Amino acid sequence: MSEGLKLRFPRPNPIVPAQSVAGRTLMLLIGIMTFLSCVTFGGVLLVQKSAMGWSADVGRELTIQIRPLDGEVIESNLRLAVSLSEAVPGVASARVLTIEESEALLEPWLGAGLDLSDLTIPRLVIVQLSDPNAADIVRLENEIAAIPGATLETHAAWRVQLNTMAGTIVVSGILVLALILVATTLAIVFATRGTMSTNREIVDVLHFIGASNRFIAGEFQGRFLLLGLKGGLAGGIAAIVFFIIAGTAMSTVVPETSSAQLGVLFGQFALGISGLLGIVGVVLVIAGLTAVTSRLTVRRFLTQIS
Amino acid sequence: MIAFDNVGLRYGHGPEILKDLTFTISPGSFHFLTGPSGSGKTSLLRLLLLSLKPTRGSVSMFGEDVTALDRDRLLQMRRHIGIVFQEFRLLDHLTTFENVALPFRVRGQAEASYRSNVEELLDWVGLGDRMDAHPAVLSGGEKQRAAIARAVIAKPDILLADEPTGNVDPELSERLLHLFEQLNRMGTTIILATHELALLEKFDYPRMLLNDGELTFHE
Repeated sequence: MSEGLKLRFPRPNPIVPAQSVAGRTLMLLIGIMTFLSCVTFGGVLLVQKSAMGWSADVGRELTIQIRPLDGEVIESNLRLAVSLSEAVPGVASARVLTIEESEALLEPWLGAGLDLSDLTIPRLVIVQLSDPNAADIVRLENEIAAIPGATLETHAAWRVQLNTMAGTIVVSGILVLALILVATTLAIVFATRGTMSTNREIVDVLHFIGASNRFIAGEFQGRFLLLGLKGGLAGGIAAIVFFIIAGTAMSTVVPETSSAQLGVLFGQFALGISGLLGIVGVVLVIAGLTAVTSRLTVRRFLTQIS
Repeated sequence: MIAFDNVGLRYGHGPEILKDLTFTISPGSFHFLTGPSGSGKTSLLRLLLLSLKPTRGSVSMFGEDVTALDRDRLLQMRRHIGIVFQEFRLLDHLTTFENVALPFRVRGQAEASYRSNVEELLDWVGLGDRMDAHPAVLSGGEKQRAAIARAVIAKPDILLADEPTGNVDPELSERLLHLFEQLNRMGTTIILATHELALLEKFDYPRMLLNDGELTFHE
């Protein structure tokens, strides 16, 4: 029965022919804009994730620096710093960095193989916090101040700088995204106006036979929504492929040590589920934007010629 | 059915194209609209099609003053009027069937509700075997018959025709005129613009003669 119906009533041709809409050019443009939007979104997301990770890591760690002073036994001061730290609420552990570990920290600046035993290198105590919000940093600072030559480094200045940098990148990314969307909107407006002028004959005939502006706008909007979805999908897939290739390249082309350092700095080059959902969101927003913009432009065009 | 009272029309700040038109058209009548090129025939047809508003005077159709109607009411009223053009104005990417069925489609009707009507009308105008053909492969006469079928498929009360025989040979012109006559006998009011003297002499219907924007009636 349904087969018979299908044969009797084949799907009619669309009133607005697909090829009459500036299809390929507009689809390519929407694809490129979607790709740029997704890459911008993904980049911002990676920076934000890395910055948050960094900030959290740095915030969980404090450093006590004890300078060697004449008349002071540094080893006993180090033990005192450890015991004072561990007595403060919110501190998980405290440990003294060995001389070898301190020298290893200086190696990138002074080079390997140097004998640093003659240098008076400050010693460090690493304090791990179990809960940065609950830790009584002021009390720790006061107690550490009693140890000669000891200072407490909370990395607060670093965290502020890091958060400022990440915030600037996020705001810049949002601004770039907004500009891309505005440029896309303008391009769609011009493309729609061009399409309406090209299809003026169809619009006039539809008017003469009693079609409402709403009906005509709907016919054109359907075409543009399809174009927006196709272009957006192509751009979104291209962006996902880009992130996969970039992530693979970072782990294979870049040497392992550099890759690890880059990983620490920028996080892993993986978007994760939130990133993928974001890209799907960008694709849908651009498809919707195409449909809404074209509909408004068509309605305005029809009102002007009515 | 149609009443013009002291109607004038000008485009922008240009000269008046139509001057002081006052006339009435009765339901079920057949009128030729004739006059030299540039006399304002197409402008008068556009006024009758409600795609233009007069600069002055009043136009009444179906008992309503159309100059005061809003867009939605104008749209509803336009659906009672069919139009046939000299250059056919069929949509090239649609088949003959789809072109003729267009008035139903723009009203949102399902194909099942109008398919038999369209097929019947296409048979009646002699295009029963050309339903799936596109305009590009139709002859001039076939295109005009398809255009007439599209204009009358939704059973309009008024059928306007702007030089419908302008692009067909004399023999076919006569056959098309007979088609208009049959539609008129079925109750459709017809106003047919033409400047073909042979047709005017052969078919004895009242003439509306436009000359330099002024209209005179010749019964």
